[in-house]
Amino acid sequence: MTTRDGRGSTERGRLVRLGFVDADQASDCIATLSARGFFGSEDRFEDAWLDALGQVANPDQALLSLMAIVLAFPDDQAQALGAQVDTLLVNRLVAVLGASRALGDFLSRHPAQVHALGGASLQLTMDQRRSALLEVVGADPMVACPVTNLPVRAANHALRIEYKRQLLQIAAADVADHASMPWVGEQLADLASAALETALAIARSEVDDSHLCRLTIMGMGKTGGRELNYISDVDVIFVAEPGEGATEEQALRIGTALATAVIRNCGEANAEGSLWEVDPALRPEGKSGALVRTLASHTAYYQRWASTWEFQALLKSRWVAGDRPLAVEYLNNMAPMVWAAASRPDFVSNARAMRRRVEETIPAAQVERQLKLGPGGLRDVEFSVQLLQLVHGRDDFRLRSSTTLSALEALSTYGFVGRDDAAELDRAYQFLRTLEHRIQLVHLRRTHIVPEADDELRAIGRSMGFVTDPAKELVTAWRGHQREVRRLHEKLFYRPLLDAVARLEPGSARLTLEAAQARLVALGFADPAGALRHIEALTSGISRRATVQKALLPVMLSWFADSPDPDAGLLAFRQVSDALGSTPWYLRLLRDEGAAAERMARVLGSSVYASDLLLRAPDATVMFGDGELATAEPGVLLSEATAIVARQQDSNAAIVAIRGLRRRELLRTSIGDVLGQLSVNQVCTAVSTVADVVVEASLQAAIREIETRTGAALPTRIAVIGMGRFGGRELGYGSDADVMFVHDPLPGVDEEVAGRVALDVANELTRLLAAPAPDPPLLIDANLRPEGKQGPLVRSLASYAAYYARWSLVWESQALLRAAPVAGDRELGEQFVTLINPMRYPEEGLSVEDEREIRRIKARVETERLPRGTDPKLHLKLGPGGLADVEWTVQLLQLKHGFAVEGLRTTSTLEALEAAADEGLITRDDANVLSLAWRRATHLRNVVMLTKGKAADALPTLATDQAKLAQLLTRGESTGGEVIEGYLRVTRRARAVVERVFYG
Amino acid sequence: MDKQTEFVLRTLEERDIRFVRLWFTDVLGFLKSVAVAPAELEAAFSEGIGFDGSAIQGFARVSESDMLARPDPSTFQVLPWRGESNGVARMFCDILMPDGSPSYADPRFVLQRALSKAADLGFTFYTHPEIEFYLLDQAPGEGRTPKPVDSGSYFDHTPNGVGHDFRREAITMLEAMGISVEFSHHEAGPGQNEIDLRYADALTTADNIMTFRLVIKEVALEQGVYATFMPKPFAQHPGSGMHTHLSLFEGDRNAFYEAGAEYQLSKTGRSFIAGLLRHAPEITAVTNQWVNSYKRLSGGGEAPSYVCWGHNNRSALVRVPMYKPQKDQSTRVEYRGLDSAANPYLAYALLLEAGLKGIQEGYELPAGADDDVWALSDAERRVMGIEPLPTSLDEAIKVMEKSELVAQTLGEHVFDVFLRNKRAEFDAYRSQVTQWELDTDLPVL
Repeated sequence: MTTRDGRGSTERGRLVRLGFVDADQASDCIATLSARGFFGSEDRFEDAWLDALGQVANPDQALLSLMAIVLAFPDDQAQALGAQVDTLLVNRLVAVLGASRALGDFLSRHPAQVHALGGASLQLTMDQRRSALLEVVGADPMVACPVTNLPVRAANHALRIEYKRQLLQIAAADVADHASMPWVGEQLADLASAALETALAIARSEVDDSHLCRLTIMGMGKTGGRELNYISDVDVIFVAEPGEGATEEQALRIGTALATAVIRNCGEANAEGSLWEVDPALRPEGKSGALVRTLASHTAYYQRWASTWEFQALLKSRWVAGDRPLAVEYLNNMAPMVWAAASRPDFVSNARAMRRRVEETIPAAQVERQLKLGPGGLRDVEFSVQLLQLVHGRDDFRLRSSTTLSALEALSTYGFVGRDDAAELDRAYQFLRTLEHRIQLVHLRRTHIVPEADDELRAIGRSMGFVTDPAKELVTAWRGHQREVRRLHEKLFYRPLLDAVARLEPGSARLTLEAAQARLVALGFADPAGALRHIEALTSGISRRATVQKALLPVMLSWFADSPDPDAGLLAFRQVSDALGSTPWYLRLLRDEGAAAERMARVLGSSVYASDLLLRAPDATVMFGDGELATAEPGVLLSEATAIVARQQDSNAAIVAIRGLRRRELLRTSIGDVLGQLSVNQVCTAVSTVADVVVEASLQAAIREIETRTGAALPTRIAVIGMGRFGGRELGYGSDADVMFVHDPLPGVDEEVAGRVALDVANELTRLLAAPAPDPPLLIDANLRPEGKQGPLVRSLASYAAYYARWSLVWESQALLRAAPVAGDRELGEQFVTLINPMRYPEEGLSVEDEREIRRIKARVETERLPRGTDPKLHLKLGPGGLADVEWTVQLLQLKHGFAVEGLRTTSTLEALEAAADEGLITRDDANVLSLAWRRATHLRNVVMLTKGKAADALPTLATDQAKLAQLLTRGESTGGEVIEGYLRVTRRARAVVERVFYG
Repeated sequence: MDKQTEFVLRTLEERDIRFVRLWFTDVLGFLKSVAVAPAELEAAFSEGIGFDGSAIQGFARVSESDMLARPDPSTFQVLPWRGESNGVARMFCDILMPDGSPSYADPRFVLQRALSKAADLGFTFYTHPEIEFYLLDQAPGEGRTPKPVDSGSYFDHTPNGVGHDFRREAITMLEAMGISVEFSHHEAGPGQNEIDLRYADALTTADNIMTFRLVIKEVALEQGVYATFMPKPFAQHPGSGMHTHLSLFEGDRNAFYEAGAEYQLSKTGRSFIAGLLRHAPEITAVTNQWVNSYKRLSGGGEAPSYVCWGHNNRSALVRVPMYKPQKDQSTRVEYRGLDSAANPYLAYALLLEAGLKGIQEGYELPAGADDDVWALSDAERRVMGIEPLPTSLDEAIKVMEKSELVAQTLGEHVFDVFLRNKRAEFDAYRSQVTQWELDTDLPVL
């Protein structure tokens, strides 16, 4: 290949090999530098410079910045710099220029600052930093309250330049001298605190009578922990006390003015940019609280109002600037409260809520590239370490460090977390923080997002020592560490619990049994001793099962801890595990399908009902596998049930299998319900569909049984009519099936004979479904039939017609509103519907007397039907604004307008309500209120069944039960009290609508 | 263990305290007390003391299980009237559920919720009550009609008056319990006294009012007289109100103050008053919770029977006191409807929420009333848009029943219990045949 000047080819090749991406640009820069004589008389330094540049993160950027700096120097100084190649100073310079474009810009504005990079060590003490910064603004570092003697603008300018100079040194130590991540964090925190001190010195010159206020600035967050980033908000709290001869009011006024000025001096941008935002949001009452408070006011706040996370924040509190004795007093006041925080009664629930927030507050768009938030992020590590400190630091002073890594080390040294886990976590944390540092360093911009562009990734990868394929290697390493951190909860919190009960060689540091119990209590286990026993049973031995469970249990414990009843969940898990033993598919399910184990833990820890169904036949554990939760198609279920009946000649055996099918489907539905994958309507539909199928299949079995017994084909057609919630397809887990039986003799058959056979079938069906069996029975209730218990169980279609023609009462019409054929002869079912339609949708609507009668019955039912000793308000079915209130209101509208309005001719409460609103029979607002109340009550009824395993029509009155309910319903967002309060509010409003619309 | 708790435990030892009374308040505002020995106290701080809630008015039914009373160490006080040795101390308690979450039946929690809502909006709520009460010569009993201890009137300094000694003794005792008294004087009625407490945040004030009522009754007992906070014990004399000055602070700044505005009253202040006025009828069943309260409200004179506000108008429901130059921080509004027998936690929570609602929704303040509203004719009042407050407990209940604001502030449980209790009270009252009926009807019918 030939080129223009005959030299380019080798030059380009060399530059590319050295690591320059844009060789043309590099070549131009080199030419420019050369022209300035930067490389000496015969360009003898050129190779050395290019070799040095080739080592850095971003050679192109470094070269560009270098050129800008050289051009800013007078010729002689440029040449002097050029000759210094291969010195410590130049190596540091090129490393910084390669890592930070922003610092390159700074140096091109202030080329003389290049010399800050010389000298053997770049480490400064806190005092040195403070003195240097104060001196440039003309303040005396030796006095207690230094004040600048420069005008504010000039002082701020000088502050920024000196700050950047020191920042440059820290960055050089970081990228060129390979200082450790913790060291960098400490130096940055010291620099920030020196800068705050200087900003305060400037503020004192702005505010009159500043000596009347003793102001101290407490560092919080990463500033307090001495683990600061290159650029991030600096969290602080201001405390003020009156100086000599001042009143508190004066002190607060002056203190507020000083604090405001400090914030401004740091955050305001001028020609040299700004330092960072000072963020005082961690103060009492947050953003709405007073910026400055007295010590007494701080103390009172934390005694009275503060919540757990605020104490957690105080863990990191440290003096950074201002009046030091005051800071000592502040810390003395706070420390006992911080360390008592874990014994507050709401600690467990608060800690849970905080953890959830840490895991969930990720802006969706950034999830993928976030370093800080989200699972596996930095916040995750920091939070977990702090929580463990709060739990164990109360009794163990050795754990009270404000820095994440040293706290982690202490936790590990004294056996509170596993040594290997801690070491691994330490590595991951250092890696992630270093990555964060390098990303921020480029533009000195506050960001926690890993860039996407390849060249940016490449530069950062190179700065972290990845050389072969920097971008790709970096991403791989990052993802690896992120995964490591994501599994950290179980490692930090739970694995030591396993060690506590394991037989380890004596002498190795591990969690004591007492500490293990304390931790279990803090995680929400009510019976820590029992929990430890289960853990021991699940993990002891050397079987494959024990090995799999040992690996899995730490993370499962974390899921149990998040569920309403951790103890019950762990116990049920142990029972399932005992029952399934080393069944290969079970172990595979647990081991390979992470989501399956999680679903199982959440369900077992939440629902007594589901656990109970599962323990009846632990094989159903397979349902926790992926893709097992979809509700089966009604047709498929029916075919399966029919096939069972066909296969099992013995009715009793058939019904056992059919009830097993029902149990399986109820379990499937309840799992979906607990996991929040199903709406109330979906749950009702699923439970109703299973009931349809079961009744249909059982009817077939019953008919076959009777046919076998009589030796003849059935002389009549039979249909089962669903009533009430069954007819409305609104069944809950614990509902009985309300039905009526109708039959129609085949032509020529004696009505009495046919009736006897039909009765036998109905009785057989009821018996089969109620017979003792391992699976839950479906109780058939036919009491809504004409004449109730006194009336015949089965009537012929003709008999129904005759009865309704002569006797029917308005409440019977009302009951018929919900009648729908569910099983048996389809045509007969339709005939029955045709028969009753004129009854339930009377053409003339409702007479005044009938309407009054309905209201009267309702009013009586309200007082009479409620069980004694129940609080009516908590009664989901009969309480004010509860299910009955809504249903009666809707049914009244159906009786009155059903003939005219087609949409009202439905057995579904919500559909009818919707139609009534569409038709303007009830206002949209009222309909919404009723609909909400009905859905809430229905949902709660299901949830009560799920949590307690027993059907109940009332909300629990025990506070602990209410708390479990709330935990399942809201994943711990609300307390039991709040859930009850919310239900009472919704139903109060519904009752007001009922009073108006129903009672008129 | 925090410092305050340590202080409490140390003081128990040093002062030889044999019992600590844990105080809390039922829904109607009656003080309840559980005595515990100092040894149990440490556990009480961390876990609370269990008790059977069903015995307390309004606490039953929230939950069947035991409730917990957790003392608030910042309210620790040695009770001065029990003598210095073998002393007794008290602390106010928060009522908790067994899982540590606060109980919705606890009036203190009602107020705390309202305060924390205000805090979310950046406000702290301060109150300053002027509590009136009567001193009578003896306790009520079968066939006895207690009489006022003197025949003095407003600001009278009666020589050797029981009232004078009484006030001195009462104030000494209040101060000994850390309750600062601003002002005290003889009120308009014979035997009627007023003591004003220094302003404090609303929770502290409500605690102080509970203490105050007990102290006054104790001191009266010691002096052989009887003190009553009944809103209107004598038909012919003025009733006992609890006018309360209200102010909101944003940090250290009085949010009601705006230099140069009319009455130096900020937009926030004006909307707050508008909120108080608009919601006054629905909160009256709580601020004036007894059948007897309405005898005071409709008693004429200075009683605030009409919903209006004025600047230094002594007949208005809400009064904006004269602004004193250089006293920006003391800008406040005075709500004059309250009586001395209200439950201060509930009443303050409602006043705050009514005002906040005005602020949040930017209610416009109607024109102020300069006239004595009592002197106006019904027609004049109608024209000016001045509505009356409910004239009976029955009427007040009916307005409150429909109030979303009251339900949300009190919480559904307290809302329901309160209404049921008050309906029962009114039903019992309605079934009485009164002396007045006998006096007027019996002779002629």
